[in-house]
Amino acid sequence: MKILETKNLTKRFNGVHAVDCLSIGIEKGSITGIIGPNGSGKTTLINLLSGVLPMDSGEMIIGEAQKLTRILPHQISFYGITRTFQNVRLFEQMTVLDNILVVVTERNVFSAFFEKHTEYHRKLAEEVLQKIGLWEKREQLAINLSYGQRKLLEIARALAMKSEIYLFDEPFAGLFPEMRKVVSGIIQGLKQENKTIILIEHDMGLIRELCDYIFVMDEGKLLADGKPDHVLEKREVIEAYLGE
Amino acid sequence: MDILPQLIINSIIAGAIYTLIALGFNLIYGATKFFNLAHGVMAAVGGYSVFYFAKTLGLDIYLAAVIGVLITGLVGYGLDRLVYSPLRKRKASNMVLLVASLGAFTAIQAIIAILFTSQFKTLSQGVGTQRIFEVFGGVITQTQIIIILAAILVMVGLVLLLYKTQLGKAVRAISDDEEVARIVGINTNKVISYTFFIGSAIAGLAGILVGFDTGIEPTMGLSLLLKGVIASIVGGIGNIYGGVFGAFLLGFVENFGIWKISGEWKDAIAFALLIIFLIFRPKGIMNK
Amino acid sequence: MEYLIHLAILFSIYAMLGVGLNLVVGYTGLLSVTHAAFYGIGAYATAILLTKTGAGFFASIILGMIVAIAVSFLIGIVLSKFKGDYYALGTFGFNTIVFAIFLNWQSLTRGPLGIPGISKPELFGINFADNLNFLILALVSLGLIYFISRFIVNSSFGRVLKTIREDEEAIQVFGYNTLYFKLAIFVISAAIAAVAGSFFASYITFVDPSSFRLMESVFILAIIILGGLANLRGSILGALFLILLPETLRFVGFPADIAAQMRQVVYGVILILLMLYRPQGLIGEYKL
Repeated sequence: MKILETKNLTKRFNGVHAVDCLSIGIEKGSITGIIGPNGSGKTTLINLLSGVLPMDSGEMIIGEAQKLTRILPHQISFYGITRTFQNVRLFEQMTVLDNILVVVTERNVFSAFFEKHTEYHRKLAEEVLQKIGLWEKREQLAINLSYGQRKLLEIARALAMKSEIYLFDEPFAGLFPEMRKVVSGIIQGLKQENKTIILIEHDMGLIRELCDYIFVMDEGKLLADGKPDHVLEKREVIEAYLGE
Repeated sequence: MDILPQLIINSIIAGAIYTLIALGFNLIYGATKFFNLAHGVMAAVGGYSVFYFAKTLGLDIYLAAVIGVLITGLVGYGLDRLVYSPLRKRKASNMVLLVASLGAFTAIQAIIAILFTSQFKTLSQGVGTQRIFEVFGGVITQTQIIIILAAILVMVGLVLLLYKTQLGKAVRAISDDEEVARIVGINTNKVISYTFFIGSAIAGLAGILVGFDTGIEPTMGLSLLLKGVIASIVGGIGNIYGGVFGAFLLGFVENFGIWKISGEWKDAIAFALLIIFLIFRPKGIMNK
Repeated sequence: MEYLIHLAILFSIYAMLGVGLNLVVGYTGLLSVTHAAFYGIGAYATAILLTKTGAGFFASIILGMIVAIAVSFLIGIVLSKFKGDYYALGTFGFNTIVFAIFLNWQSLTRGPLGIPGISKPELFGINFADNLNFLILALVSLGLIYFISRFIVNSSFGRVLKTIREDEEAIQVFGYNTLYFKLAIFVISAAIAAVAGSFFASYITFVDPSSFRLMESVFILAIIILGGLANLRGSILGALFLILLPETLRFVGFPADIAAQMRQVVYGVILILLMLYRPQGLIGEYKL
């Protein structure tokens, strides 16, 4: 089943098409890679899918049923979507633990005053933080973590959402090999739980290793799509990366 | 309807004063991208400098005016060197700068009140010595004509400065992109300090002219500042022409607005205009 | 001794104001400079109710809170469209508009004449004209407000406020409609300010618009920045400091009106120094 699709999705900035009539479909339970040279529109696509940017035209279809031409950021979790940011956006002057707790607690303004499930939330936070190895550092402020730890925390925050669809924007960038293994393991673990992952990455080795299917973007348009080994041999893909 | 010509004249005069404030404010905003709220008190600095030199020391009025403008420029320059520049160096957020400028505004205004008392004073030689002209059915004083001329001259002068001089080019480069300007070799800190000098000097001039027209009091800066801010935002923040347009629009809206409502509501009307613009057109009438 | 009690009462009032404002500025990161407007609403509610009807002080507190909640709800919705320094400007605008209403809605507020003869609270026959009793009541109120605020900031709601401060867009994608949260805390903060206003009105027995201008909002902001943003005890400390400090100036020998201006110079300079050297204030947890 196509858990997420776009039809003719378009976004313009000052006349330039960042995303141009993009129509793609993501299979449920798969790990899908989005690749392409810098400026091809990958992050804009994720921003559109997560409501951070409004669509200019086109639509998003969730679960083959919900057609949306407009989605607000705070609505995406309702549709089972969560994401990480390429330039890690943690809550800097808050603790590691708080960064996780804040995504599992009450969304409703009134009930947020009288939070009831504190024990459950702490357990969930512990589970997620243990998975990325930051439980010992839970009282540290996010701003004091190392780069690698920050990226892991960003991912842990998304994990804590227990969503269906995960949008990861360059989760491996700048990480040492040991940490890459951790992230890789997390992503494959999600797949085993039948979750859907969309992954923006530049490292072709990781793309080949992890992805079931990839989409190649160039200048906002879909350049090619298919299984990684097949697509990465295509001449136009290689040319797009090497430059004009 | 014979009040109409006077309303129009009053609107133009108000627009001219607000133009002077907005020009300086926009110049500084363009270069630094923050709202320098201390800009308002510069008008008071100018007005009171002239008061001191002309009335207390007895200097010739024109000389005193020139000194007043220069002093105000220096105060603005000093403020940047001492406070804003160090803050910018450590990449302080706009809110920090705004709060610092609030502090400067408060302190300078209070110092003026201590030195000169809070009483309303006037710069002109005395009541009834103003020459009055009749124009199209309304009246306008000599000072008010000077105000309008000053606004036009300063605007032209500023445009010439920005587009025909090296300094002006540097200022425009910084307004476009400070990073790039620095990389290209412009000493951004120095140029920004100069914009503070020029911008503040213009505000000082505005204060002096207002002093001749109506008078000065230590708190005059706040109202003028707010009008300048409103004019700038309505017209398009950072845009010189926009500020002028916004200033006159504000002048007209205010004066025609209080035609039917009591004059006490002037400030509130001005702010309502601001809020409407902030909601519907935050980039102002003339986007950069 | 009477003098100390007087200072302590003023301190309590400003501590209440500070704690309330800190919720919005320190915890949520919204630079609101309109707190005096809600302070004034509470004061006028008490003034009008107590002088025109037989209703008691505590009823007037409720009324003041209700009006403040309604007004802040509307203002909050409009403000929610603005970000960063534009938000601050918007709040300036609202403070100015509300001040203009206090000044001009003369049938209700008697405008600049003010409302004299406000009576003291009545409860169980305690004589609140005795300032010591009034002080105790004020401290009880402060205590309640402090504990309620502490409850709020330690709750899940409070945690969300901090994320709004840190990165509003980022917390939105995790399912939070931040508009509701910002509105809620703004309204709560306004209600607290109204309570402080009610105490002010009853203590001074006279209210007039001049106590609620923009400068007053800046003063309250200075209190919480000095004490430390996002730290409730900091706001109490800041209020202590900024109430006591000017009094020491009085002892040094300045005449009364100069002392008032000196107070302004001091807190203006303090704001600048804080921004330059210690943006987290005395015991703050958050740097602006």
